[in-house]
Amino acid sequence: MTELTEQIVLNFNKFPSIGAENWEYAFACAQVRALEIGMLTRPMLLDMINAENFQTAVDILSSTEYAFGPAKEFDELEPILQTKRTEIRKLFKELIVEQPIVELISAREDFANLRLALRRKLTDKPIGTDYNNDGSIPAERFEQTFEEEDYSTLPLYLRQAIENAVLAYYQNKDVRQIDYAIDKLQAQHNLDLAIQLNSTFLLELCRMQIDLNNIRTMLRLKFRESDQRDLFIEGGYISTVTLRHGLDIGYEAIVPLFFSTPYYEIMEIGVTYLTSNKSFLKLEQHCEDHLMEFLKTTSQITAGHQPVVAYLLRKENEIRKIRLILTAKKNNLDARLILDRLGD
Amino acid sequence: MLENINATRMQLLQLRRRVALATRGHRLLSEKRDEISRQLIRIARLIQPLRQRVEEKLLDTFRRFMLARASMEPENVKAALQVPTKKFTLAIELANIMNVKVPKMTKEIEGDIICYGFATTSGEMDVALLSLEKAFDDLIELAEKEKQARLLAVELQMTRRRVNVLEHIVIPDIQETIKYIFGKLAEVERDNISRLMKIADMIRS
Repeated sequence: MTELTEQIVLNFNKFPSIGAENWEYAFACAQVRALEIGMLTRPMLLDMINAENFQTAVDILSSTEYAFGPAKEFDELEPILQTKRTEIRKLFKELIVEQPIVELISAREDFANLRLALRRKLTDKPIGTDYNNDGSIPAERFEQTFEEEDYSTLPLYLRQAIENAVLAYYQNKDVRQIDYAIDKLQAQHNLDLAIQLNSTFLLELCRMQIDLNNIRTMLRLKFRESDQRDLFIEGGYISTVTLRHGLDIGYEAIVPLFFSTPYYEIMEIGVTYLTSNKSFLKLEQHCEDHLMEFLKTTSQITAGHQPVVAYLLRKENEIRKIRLILTAKKNNLDARLILDRLGD
Repeated sequence: MLENINATRMQLLQLRRRVALATRGHRLLSEKRDEISRQLIRIARLIQPLRQRVEEKLLDTFRRFMLARASMEPENVKAALQVPTKKFTLAIELANIMNVKVPKMTKEIEGDIICYGFATTSGEMDVALLSLEKAFDDLIELAEKEKQARLLAVELQMTRRRVNVLEHIVIPDIQETIKYIFGKLAEVERDNISRLMKIADMIRS
């Protein structure tokens, strides 16, 4: 019965196309499908959420690949979760045949490292050695490049990001401008690469991510009563004009604005929860669920890069969920609050 | 009774002056004690709801921050919070309450507490930081009031001890010594009178 309820129901009206099959990925897809069976199920996550205490929640994971052993502190588990994430990323790199797809996915870590390094560099702080090693550029090379200020060794998109971020920062010496500039360039880079790869799935994924980011940004700006209006990222399905208009109207009028989009449900639930609880938990949960549902539609095809990319992203999401539940359990947070973030 | 006291009239006058001074000091210190107690009760009444409010706000901030941090990738949390944009300056002046120097804090805050972009961060982090920002005012007021209360409590304890010493030791001791000297002097006086009467009798006979 459980298996029946867990079967994926595809919503063809809600999600865009994921593109054609590619038989080069026949083995990779088979491997990924086998690994997907081992992913944590919803009842297991619910058991963890409703567990009596932290240790019981950890024990529930003992029959899975996340068997941590006896752990008293969450800090002991965090390195294990990060190792798991690195392993999955490594597997992804092995399974993907087309190198540009690996570059596109690894660019996330490069941009995260870049944000950290630029913030430190521009505010005269030590460059440090705590960079993520999962990107396409090794952490050591990253440190060296920023220490020596020789950016010529970096790929073009990172150089461009550095240039944009530095120019944005020196306009009024505001560190947030670094993030805004990098966010925009990262989205543009992803879109360009997806177009170059001629991958419908990656293009749709990038656009969906841009839309969901823009929706969250709009509501966050509105919540903060900020007057910034140029922080939306171009390239999504929802035009930035609509999003800017959303900043000018009341919460009750925002939801109908998205009536004709697939994000209507997200907005309806997210905005209601935000106005009543002053929290983004439900909005973030529904944004994440929307993306995960889209990733699940990759089960439509037998072989292709889509299921492999989807597996990586779903697995990363699973690790985040475990982190969230265990952190909440360790700090005795109410199960209701965890459910608000992870969904009932 | 005081020790090593010469039962002289000069000493008696000195002790009478001392007892008058001690009584006056006792009265003043009692008044100071009462006033400090009053101030302390007033501050304690303010502290209780303030602390409750601060604890609630900080708990909420902590809870939201934890959720935000757990739902974000660790490297994104690090990058987001690496360089804060909010500058916080706290100036401490000293005010005088019943001769007790208590701190008075004035804060200067500039810049926005949200110091990161939107794409890789959680909205819950915004809520946590904004909630922390709102808790600052109460937090500083609480720190100020608790420090005032602590200093006043120390002063109250000291004053109460002084009042008790004056009331139960110093003043009774001096009064007893005065009584002793007075008795001694009266005895000497009686001795003299009887000696003079004896001499007068001897002259008369």
